[in-house]
Amino acid sequence: MIEVRGLTKQYGAGRLAHGSSAVRAVDDLTFDVRPGKVTGFLGPNGAGKSTTMRMVLGLDRPTAGRALVAGRPFATLDEPLRVAGALLDAQAVHPGRSGRDHLRVVARTNGIPVRRVDEVIDQVGLGPAARRRVKGYSLGMRQRLGIATALLGDPAVLLFDEPMNGLDLDGVRWVRGLVRELADEGRTVLLSSHLMSEMEQTADHLVIIGRGRLIADASIEEVLRGQGTGRKVRVRTPSVDDLAGALLRRKLRVHPTDDGDLLVEGASAETVGDIALEVGAAVHRLAEEHTSLEQVYLDLTGDSVQYKVSSTKELVRS
Amino acid sequence: MTAVAVQGPGTVPLLTRAASAEWLRLRSVRSTWWCLLAAAAAVLGIGVGTALDEADMAEASGSTASAVLAGEYGLMIGQFALLVLVLLAVTQEYASGSIGPTLQWTPRRGVLLTARVTVPVLVATVAGVLLAVAADVVAVVVEPSLTFSGGDLADSVGGIAAVLLAGGALAVGTGLLLRSTAGALAAVFLLQLVLPALLPAFGVRWMADLGELLPGSAAIWTLLGEPEMSAGQATTLLVGWSAAALAAGGWSLLRRDAG
Repeated sequence: MIEVRGLTKQYGAGRLAHGSSAVRAVDDLTFDVRPGKVTGFLGPNGAGKSTTMRMVLGLDRPTAGRALVAGRPFATLDEPLRVAGALLDAQAVHPGRSGRDHLRVVARTNGIPVRRVDEVIDQVGLGPAARRRVKGYSLGMRQRLGIATALLGDPAVLLFDEPMNGLDLDGVRWVRGLVRELADEGRTVLLSSHLMSEMEQTADHLVIIGRGRLIADASIEEVLRGQGTGRKVRVRTPSVDDLAGALLRRKLRVHPTDDGDLLVEGASAETVGDIALEVGAAVHRLAEEHTSLEQVYLDLTGDSVQYKVSSTKELVRS
Repeated sequence: MTAVAVQGPGTVPLLTRAASAEWLRLRSVRSTWWCLLAAAAAVLGIGVGTALDEADMAEASGSTASAVLAGEYGLMIGQFALLVLVLLAVTQEYASGSIGPTLQWTPRRGVLLTARVTVPVLVATVAGVLLAVAADVVAVVVEPSLTFSGGDLADSVGGIAAVLLAGGALAVGTGLLLRSTAGALAAVFLLQLVLPALLPAFGVRWMADLGELLPGSAAIWTLLGEPEMSAGQATTLLVGWSAAALAAGGWSLLRRDAG
């Protein structure tokens, strides 16, 4: 369990007033991360995800508010790795030390037996590479080493900051499986990403932030439903007017699309197909469309993106 | 799995663990061994060579020289390889960003600070003392006319240990404060070697006076008996500078964001 209460991080001097140079990287965040679930921590680049995680781990000092891990501030824990493991930056390892020596150093600080070092090396599949110097590791191997470090103390809470960055497809699938397994064992898993599609396949619950503020804290289903996005059917026909008329008579909402198709809300493909048959309209294409989480995410965070592309709408369509 | 409040083992065992981890951290990178090798070459090479010269000069004037000059002259230069070792132990983590992870497994910063000051400084001091004694022994074996008494050795070893403890503390403190290898290295070299040697050379009174306030001047006095100052002054300088550096560096680690 991670409890974040009114967490705020301000850079720059002075109170946040007009004309002040201060920037609020994290602004009054409050949320819980619960055990047994994978919680996706989502936001555009620069939204404050890493800063929040650093404050949860006691690395950065909050300007206001607090964060508790297993009921205590992380920086007061004597054996923190037995409570929470984290991977923030896979590159932050001394390049001249072997992966195994790195893990031995870490294990020593928390009184973890060396036997456990070899266990996690096996668990993440680092194998014989563990005895080589980190200098020669690929990004994927460094991610595995970082995850091994996080798992070392067999903690009930895990935080991963963009763990899939730079991984190949196998690596991504492995992380996804591992994270699911950890949550199924009843652990608390917080997983940050700026990639919505990744979250859709991995997370059970979402905490979405933008410009340091909380935008959504809900299950994936709730986030999708909250956006009022039911089923939609896209249909292509040469007899647009006939079909549109028939659909409207059935009290269905119909929108023409830019490429001449019709978008029908709240109906199934069967219904639309049957109606087309009744009015004798030829159907060239008929497909149910689900609003992707990605689209919802873009809609939600659209106003809070710090470095905005000139037209977000174009991105949504593409 | 419910979160269990983990009862800690207490501060003393934590310190022991952190220190043991620091020791393993030092041992498991090559830069430590390169620094020790460089220190050995400097202390033995320069130290023994200079002691032999001193022996010749003493012989020419009908007196004798002490073998402990070998360790003292050698350390004058060799200390810098040891200070680099100490400094890298601190600043390397800021260069690689691994101070963040380190604070994840040792989040109690006071514990980390204590271990991080103690272990590298002690390693450098012990290594320096052993190398100096080795240089003395080599010198007296090569040139038996050198005198080698227990009293001289005890004095010499005490001085060398004091210089290395103070220099090491200065290096750790500067490293923690500046968080940069290049910056801290430059600062330590300037304070410990360059400015104390350079400032008096201008022949300007206030520059020479300023030079005598630097930690390097006290270190040189402790090793070589120059420039003119009292033991009290030297002690004050060594202790004062190390304490100030440790206070500033400690503040940086304890109070600032991890970096």
